Amino acid sequence: MPEEVVLYFCITQKGLLNSCRMYIRIRFLNFIVLRVLTIVLTISALSIPLSAEVDVDLGKKLFKSNCASCHKLDKKLIGPALAGVTQRRSEEWLLRWIRNNAELRASGDADAKAIFEEYNGSIMSAFPALADDDIKSILAYTDAVPVVAPPKEISPGLPIAEPVNDSLLLYIFGGFLILFVTLLLQIRNTLKEINGQNKSTVIQDFNLLTQWLVGNKRFMTAATIVSTVAFLYQLFWFLMGIGVETNYQPVQPIAFSHKIHAGENQVDCNYCHSSARHSKHSGIPSTNVCMNCHMYIDGSEILNDAGVAKYAGERSPEIAKIYSAIGWDAENRSYIDNYETKPVRWIRIHNLPDLAYFNHAQHVTAGGVECQTCHGPVQEMDVVYQYSKLTMGWCINCHRETEVNTSNGYYADAEEGTQSINERLALKFHDELITVEKIGGLECGKCHY
Amino acid sequence: MAKDKVYWKGFDHLANTEVSKRLSENEFAEDIPMDQFLGDDNLMGNSSTSRRDFLKYVGFSTAAATLAACEQPIVESIPYVVKPDSLTPGMPAYYATSYVDGQDFASVLVKTREGRPIKIEPGDKARFNWGTNGRAQASVLSLYDSARLKQPLKAGVESDWTTISLDLKEAIDQSVTEGKQFVLMTGSVFSPSMKLVIENLRQSYANLVHVEVDAISNSKVLDVWEDLTGVRSIPGIDMKAADIVVSFNEDFLSSSIPQQLSSDYAFRRKPGKGMLRHIHLESNLSLTGSNADKRIKLKPSQVEFSLAFLLNFVSGTKYHVGKIDKILTDQLERVAKELIAAKGKSLILVGGNSTSNAYLCAALNAALKNFGSTIRPDRPIYTQSGSDLAFDNAMADMNQGQVGVLVIAGPNPVYNRIGFDLALNNVEYSLSLTDRLDETATLTDAAAPVPHYLESWADFAPTNIDFSVSQPVIRPLFNSKPVIEVLSELVGIKKSSKDLVKESVISQGLNWSQTLHDGGASIKIDSETLSISEIINRAITSVKVANSTLNTIDNSVMEISLYQKTVGAGYQSNNPWLHELPDPISRCSWDNYLTISAADALAMEFINETLSNGALDGSLADIQAGEYSLKNVPVLIQPGQAAGTVGLALGYGRKKVGKVADGLGVNANELNLSKGFGSVVISKTDGMHQFASTQLGNTMMGRKIVNEVSLNDFINDPKGSTWNEKPTYHTLDGTIGTDEANLWKNHDHETMHMWNMSIDLNSCHGCGACVIACHIENNVPVVGKAEIRNFRDMHWLRIDRYYSSDMTAEIADMEDIGVVAKYAGMEKPGVSPEVVFQPVMCQHCNHAPCETVCPVGATVHSREGLNHMAYNRCIGTRYCANNCPYKVRRFNWFNYQKNERFTSVNPSQDDLGRMVLNPDVTVRARGVMEKCSMCIQNIQFGKLEAKKAGRPLKDGEINCACESACDSGAITFGDVNTRNSAVQIAKNDSRSYHLLEEVGTQPSVFYQTKVRNRI
Repeated sequence: MPEEVVLYFCITQKGLLNSCRMYIRIRFLNFIVLRVLTIVLTISALSIPLSAEVDVDLGKKLFKSNCASCHKLDKKLIGPALAGVTQRRSEEWLLRWIRNNAELRASGDADAKAIFEEYNGSIMSAFPALADDDIKSILAYTDAVPVVAPPKEISPGLPIAEPVNDSLLLYIFGGFLILFVTLLLQIRNTLKEINGQNKSTVIQDFNLLTQWLVGNKRFMTAATIVSTVAFLYQLFWFLMGIGVETNYQPVQPIAFSHKIHAGENQVDCNYCHSSARHSKHSGIPSTNVCMNCHMYIDGSEILNDAGVAKYAGERSPEIAKIYSAIGWDAENRSYIDNYETKPVRWIRIHNLPDLAYFNHAQHVTAGGVECQTCHGPVQEMDVVYQYSKLTMGWCINCHRETEVNTSNGYYADAEEGTQSINERLALKFHDELITVEKIGGLECGKCHY
Repeated sequence: MAKDKVYWKGFDHLANTEVSKRLSENEFAEDIPMDQFLGDDNLMGNSSTSRRDFLKYVGFSTAAATLAACEQPIVESIPYVVKPDSLTPGMPAYYATSYVDGQDFASVLVKTREGRPIKIEPGDKARFNWGTNGRAQASVLSLYDSARLKQPLKAGVESDWTTISLDLKEAIDQSVTEGKQFVLMTGSVFSPSMKLVIENLRQSYANLVHVEVDAISNSKVLDVWEDLTGVRSIPGIDMKAADIVVSFNEDFLSSSIPQQLSSDYAFRRKPGKGMLRHIHLESNLSLTGSNADKRIKLKPSQVEFSLAFLLNFVSGTKYHVGKIDKILTDQLERVAKELIAAKGKSLILVGGNSTSNAYLCAALNAALKNFGSTIRPDRPIYTQSGSDLAFDNAMADMNQGQVGVLVIAGPNPVYNRIGFDLALNNVEYSLSLTDRLDETATLTDAAAPVPHYLESWADFAPTNIDFSVSQPVIRPLFNSKPVIEVLSELVGIKKSSKDLVKESVISQGLNWSQTLHDGGASIKIDSETLSISEIINRAITSVKVANSTLNTIDNSVMEISLYQKTVGAGYQSNNPWLHELPDPISRCSWDNYLTISAADALAMEFINETLSNGALDGSLADIQAGEYSLKNVPVLIQPGQAAGTVGLALGYGRKKVGKVADGLGVNANELNLSKGFGSVVISKTDGMHQFASTQLGNTMMGRKIVNEVSLNDFINDPKGSTWNEKPTYHTLDGTIGTDEANLWKNHDHETMHMWNMSIDLNSCHGCGACVIACHIENNVPVVGKAEIRNFRDMHWLRIDRYYSSDMTAEIADMEDIGVVAKYAGMEKPGVSPEVVFQPVMCQHCNHAPCETVCPVGATVHSREGLNHMAYNRCIGTRYCANNCPYKVRRFNWFNYQKNERFTSVNPSQDDLGRMVLNPDVTVRARGVMEKCSMCIQNIQFGKLEAKKAGRPLKDGEINCACESACDSGAITFGDVNTRNSAVQIAKNDSRSYHLLEEVGTQPSVFYQTKVRNRI
């Protein structure tokens, strides 16, 4: 989904939060319809195949997994910038160096020794597992990418970057509808004229219909009942929706994208939210966890949708926020002494009331529930929103339906000569599915104390 | 038979007054004061708001609230920048440390959450004094006391440490040139690193005088032991080796001696053959005395003659015994015979700071061959070392202007010694290193904050075989500096307290990390005490001298004996939890008072009266002790008080401790009784005092509430068929037990866990540490004196205390007393009533009367045998509380966290005090019921830990707060579905019974019959 749409959606959301909830629902439905349309349109318009060579793709992949922690294409990191390296060195030399640089140095190669000394004796890892073709692919990748891409305006012609104006579409549809109705009326009047009847205007027709309906008692009774029920129904759901913040999508202090981290790069949720396995809190990663990767990845290689370096080869301003929080001097690649750290003030999205006790470890470790079950497709979210309702009814429903992970030793094991919980459950429930409800998961005191 | 005994809760209960009756029918004696919590009375009366206006406001505010609720507040979530490795948000971390507050010493475990200490738990059992009493439990709140000194003060103006250090150094240098003394006044020092620093200081400054002073002096006893053993220390006591303990005025269960004995006492009091027999002789009814098998009342002045009498009887000597009346000598003879029968396995303890008593006690123990078995001079305890002589000399020097510099680090002599405030005027420069601007620190030239024990590094050698360390569990909250750093800077050593402690630990040959992890280590330093034969010789020789100094005291003189309540010597007076806990005996909270016997009260026209709302009022008295006096002391009639004696608790009457306790009670130190007892003149004054007593609350009349049996009956009938009969019902199907007579279907308690709790009434001493632990664990609000007086205490766990009549069926049979006379006798209070304690919390009934009456289903049953309480469903009808036969449900009458009426007492009203709240337990709002949850947060936590590890639950893995706070192991909690779990064994024990079993509530809590070792 285009980023602008997301932002727009976000802004719309924030603005509407202050007004009536009913309005949100209507707008949201509208929006869903429009979004589906947009996606369909976009997909149909976007049938441009990527005309890239396969080995460059492979090279990019291999570069990211093997080289990126020390090398950049356009800039010195721990090791030299690699763009255009094939012009500087022979392919054969590069193959030897990459496979086992220590061996090359030991063999007395002057170039190898010189580069080793230039980088203060930092030892590069050996990659004996890389095949010649792999290395060639990597080299092809380093060649394929322009060294410095000039900052470019995003070209307006590309449909993917075009923000779709949903209200404009609405007007167009509306226009068509009016045109259609007008045409129909025209046809009707023409037909009437042919039949020799009197022409009637729309207003006249409407007045006649209204008079007939108002005079009809049955219709009036039915209409009153229907509208009352509809009103009460809407009122009930309006009241029930108070405090339910599904789709709550605040703007965060750092434009962190779960789509990039959890989706594209397949970072495990537990890598950053490590306490989810141990504690009641999933835990927002502390800044030093970000630094595990972002000490090397500063975002300068990020491309925009046009395939052009997004930040003109400069450090991403979002990643710079991490550096400023923890006090990392990216130029000298060291932490600044006595730096007054600035903790990142994230906006909490999932807010349970204080009266409800929720424990992540219970669900993640003991229950084996996937994060996505409650948090939705986070790996597809650029900006995270609240996916589930987080109401008590939502919790209870899941507890009614979900089977307990009875393979856990807590249920399955028992001391010699005693019954395990599983055996006792089998005595009581026989072959029935053991849901959370059956072991007491609906009891008040399990979550409220 | 034991079950025929009549228990009564107080004089009003006994007389069965109108109020008492009404309270037994309703939970609250008077109507609910709507106007009080709705708003100001005057405002309500003068208001021009009509009904119509009111409805408009209601309509508008409902609409406004609904609209306002549409928008969610923005909640920030701020992670660490660099998260400490040892910390996982949401998970507790435990650290071993040592608790010291100037009076007590204990090895404890501190529970921290997100880097803040929230609970104190008993330490490793290998450490010295591993148990936690009420003060140790409550001490975590003292850390978050907003009355603590935050900045160094110079002449009352905020200053800094550099200025303080410079001033001190300059003043000391001046005192050296002027030839004046540099007095360092501390509490008892038993920290090796501190001792080393003071030694260094002594070498640098020849004019240094180090004075150790204890808040409650034990100096004379220490002098005696120094004379006898060669080392100034109290000998260790091995209660486990004793078969009989005879204690004279020594409240050893409340730890007025520095060794914690309650766990050993409980261990030896397990019912069965060889159960420890306990005879207690005292004037006030103490906690220890109320646990005794035989309690003999005597006046404090009779102690020394009684000891001499016993000594004569045991060793055939002829010491001067003064005039003791026949009744007492008869009783003493019986005691002496028992002691002779248990030679070498007996233990004599004596309380009070008296030289002659200490000599006589030592001689008696020597004559009974107790040295080396129950009394261990080779295990000296160093936690007390204060010297009255050194203090008096220092004060005399101060008065004569010979003191140039006075540094007070710890003690508060202006509060607990007479005349120190005047002596301070003659000191050129005085500095208080103190935790708050107390009575002393406000009078010194400068005052500077020291860290709380949870913020400090320290080491201790409480005995010759134990070494303990103290480590900080939180960064210092204020600009404080440890005493040890201040002192070592004076001799030019600029090291942190951590380094000093580390050096000390390593010098003991210990591993630093291991010692820190364990909270200490066992060491072996040979004690320098003399050989046991030499001690016995000395004890026997010195007693002659001591005995010759005894004076006979006129029997008609009123004698006072000072004692300690939960608040102790008053170091933690500003801790509301200690005041909120009702006194175990009198059940009065937030007060100290003169306890007096009913006979003396009658003679002196002191009255205790119960008002129409059930609150207790008492007369006031003036006390004159020689030239010292105390005015307007409230008088409480105390059953079991020896005639001709009165008692008064120490630790009250503080003036500069903080908003909680300023002006609470009277200061017993003003009577200047260095021995802890003496003769006084009592006179009645006008006016009445309002007590906050819980004594009339929640009466449970004349049924099998506390079941009791004598040891002989217990041994003869181990199955309990004669002394633990189960109630039965006669139905059409025949006679059935209470568990079969059901109106409802049984819950499924077999499939999952079934949490039960056993309370052993034999091990429960009634100290109340569990009540405080429960308060802390469950965020129970403090309500203050006025609300307790209204019987609106919020304790989830209370300890009921019942007095009994001395008359029992056995005595009636033996002495051939008729039925009418027997029952009349049972109704009367005994001359020396026996006391029983019974902790009562929610019984988690499996057929709970509360559950059936809740209109909104806020209280429901779980399949794990618990009675759940969902606060957010509760609409406050209080129907459940009315229907509860145990009266354990508590209603939140106020928003204690916000209402300004509770600002001075409720710790959670300021940001600092709020830090102590347990983040796993909801803080309840106004208008909801609450009650014991059996620490369900711990149950859930324990289950989850097992699931995370993928293993079944282990017995003893999950603890309730009350259970872990109990040193004596009276409370056992666990899953009865686990085979051979401690609680399953307890449930099947013949002593086990349910409270009010005949009601048919089938509680999950059961009690173990109390066994008394009567002869």
